[in-house]
Amino acid sequence: MTTTNASDSRTVPPGLAGQNRIRLIGLIFSVFFLLIAVQLGKLTLIHRSDATTAELALPEKAMPRPDIVDRNGAVLATDIEVASLFADPRKISDVDEAVELLTATLPELDGKSLKQRLTTPGKAFVWLKRQTNPEERDAVYNLGIPGVAYVNERKRVYPMGRLAAHTVGYVDVDTKGIAGIEKYLDDQGALYTASLSEPETHTSYPAQLSMDVRVQQAVTDEVAKAVVKYKAKSGGGIVLDTETGEIVALASLPDYNPNSENKNLTSDQQNKLTSGVYELGSVIKAVTFAMAFDSGVMNMNSRYDARFPLVIGTARISDFHAQRKVLTVPEVFTNSSNIGTAKMALQVGLDGHHEFLDRVGLLDKLVTEVPESAKPLLPRHWSKLSSATAAFGHGFAVQPLQGLSVIADLINGGMSIPPTFLKRSKEDAEALAHRIVKADTSEKMRYLFRLNVTDGTATKADVLGYRVGGKTGTAEKVIGGRYSKTQVLATFIGAFPMEKPKYAIFVMLDEPQAVPGTYGFNTAGWNAVPTAANIIERVAPMLGVEPQFTAEDLAKLAKQAKSGAEKKHG
Amino acid sequence: MIKLINAILVFAVLGAAFFMYSLEHSTRGLERQIVKLKSGIKDERETIKLLDAEWASLTRPDRLQKMAEEQLKLQPVKATQIVSTADLGAKIPDAPVIMLSDKTADPIGAMLEKLPQ
Repeated sequence: MTTTNASDSRTVPPGLAGQNRIRLIGLIFSVFFLLIAVQLGKLTLIHRSDATTAELALPEKAMPRPDIVDRNGAVLATDIEVASLFADPRKISDVDEAVELLTATLPELDGKSLKQRLTTPGKAFVWLKRQTNPEERDAVYNLGIPGVAYVNERKRVYPMGRLAAHTVGYVDVDTKGIAGIEKYLDDQGALYTASLSEPETHTSYPAQLSMDVRVQQAVTDEVAKAVVKYKAKSGGGIVLDTETGEIVALASLPDYNPNSENKNLTSDQQNKLTSGVYELGSVIKAVTFAMAFDSGVMNMNSRYDARFPLVIGTARISDFHAQRKVLTVPEVFTNSSNIGTAKMALQVGLDGHHEFLDRVGLLDKLVTEVPESAKPLLPRHWSKLSSATAAFGHGFAVQPLQGLSVIADLINGGMSIPPTFLKRSKEDAEALAHRIVKADTSEKMRYLFRLNVTDGTATKADVLGYRVGGKTGTAEKVIGGRYSKTQVLATFIGAFPMEKPKYAIFVMLDEPQAVPGTYGFNTAGWNAVPTAANIIERVAPMLGVEPQFTAEDLAKLAKQAKSGAEKKHG
Repeated sequence: MIKLINAILVFAVLGAAFFMYSLEHSTRGLERQIVKLKSGIKDERETIKLLDAEWASLTRPDRLQKMAEEQLKLQPVKATQIVSTADLGAKIPDAPVIMLSDKTADPIGAMLEKLPQ
């Protein structure tokens, strides 16, 4: 084509030569405009890659983490913006002067190492100080050193500090959740986190816990006092909503401060109530009672001979509070007879016992939002002996939260409701619930629980007006392969108000000692039970449980008031 | 005739260009304002978050408990002190305990004075 054009230009008349010139100019112009268009397209359509030094050096901007709030909206965890100072050594003209100014403003900086870092050849980015406060940031910024600037970073803070630290969990330096609900949020994946976030404003809806910080504080405070008073190694307390499965408070002591940079948690500071398994002892008897009622082998009028220890093979099962007589069913419960309970399990039979434990969910790992969850420790061989001992909580260890949850299910009408750390409505709970025992069995259990507080081992839990019911447990701890008499785990599982339980409560004290006022006892009735009573007295008004007094209660109160008045005068 | 049309068109082009330019100019001004407001909103949000965190930290129950124990003479509510609304009628005294019509005295202050120390 071009060659023919060229030959054409020689043949055309000179008048038309100008036309070719115009074409040439047009060509040049179109090439020129094309260049501009290409450059324009490159700048606007194709993403620019030459970002600033800070953008290059910083890790990808972290996803906004949702706040964590309690059931009433009190903030338990939130992100705040903090400035981090950095320098670009290539842009600093006078390193010596810069180092001098910086060390004068930020005294904690080491001049020598800073200078060394700033003079390292080829370095384009040096952190000066991460997460400064606004004053420091402004002071350094006002120094006006070229190449020194700051970026805003997000920092996770826990305004409530130690309170509920085990439930909330914490994040690592890259604000990635590594424990508690924080880890749960990460495990739900970016999708879940994003669903809580608003893309426009980069704000997010908070994750709302079932916890009430006021109740949490009351439980933490009372358990802490009890740990000191009874010289226990550690302690724990849970308040569970029996109707919805919501965990209103969960305190495991000793705890930790999630805000501290260097936590170095010891095994003692772990959440014992979910990540530890314990032989809960006699409180597990409630499960055996429910089983015996539900399978129909026992009714309230059944009798159990507890005169002699029960011998299975080479093992002897005897009673702690030996009564040496034939006990009625309520007596077996209120005297916490091992012999009677073991006989119930044997009556039901090995398969029936195993099936029942499976049905109530004591054989499987409890799954909640909090990832620290331990599997139950079961007897290796399911034999006559292990069934008989498991009946009263020996040789069979579960996490305390699971124990509480199962017993709450047995007394709330017989519906199993999985416990949760997140806020849940009653309708949702009803949709999740399934029946594990008959309503009639549950009613009998409620009667026994209440009876045990009015006339049994848990009399100190009787907070007048709130109709408390409960079962104590004093489990001998296995020390060096043997059950110890002096080192025990004292537990109490209760509920109130007993005619229609709304809240279940668990208190645990690890190795409480006999102290003045307990008359030489270290059993649960003398330490875990009064602690639970203190908790109930404090939290019941917060939880909106209305007190009701029977004539008997009023008489007792009048007597208390009288003796109190006499004490004052005397 | 053509000259006239041309002249009109030229003026129209000039007018349109001027209009376009002023429109774009004001748009840019608005855009700048949007950016400024957006960053202002972001700053305010950050401040709100910071204040929320501070509020939560100041109202955390263990701190309130400590302060209440030190500063106030209050005690935890006993079950006997709680009265249902239905029973409330029986608890109302016949004559008012405090005569607020008595302007010279300070009856509430006097009651507070009488509280045991």
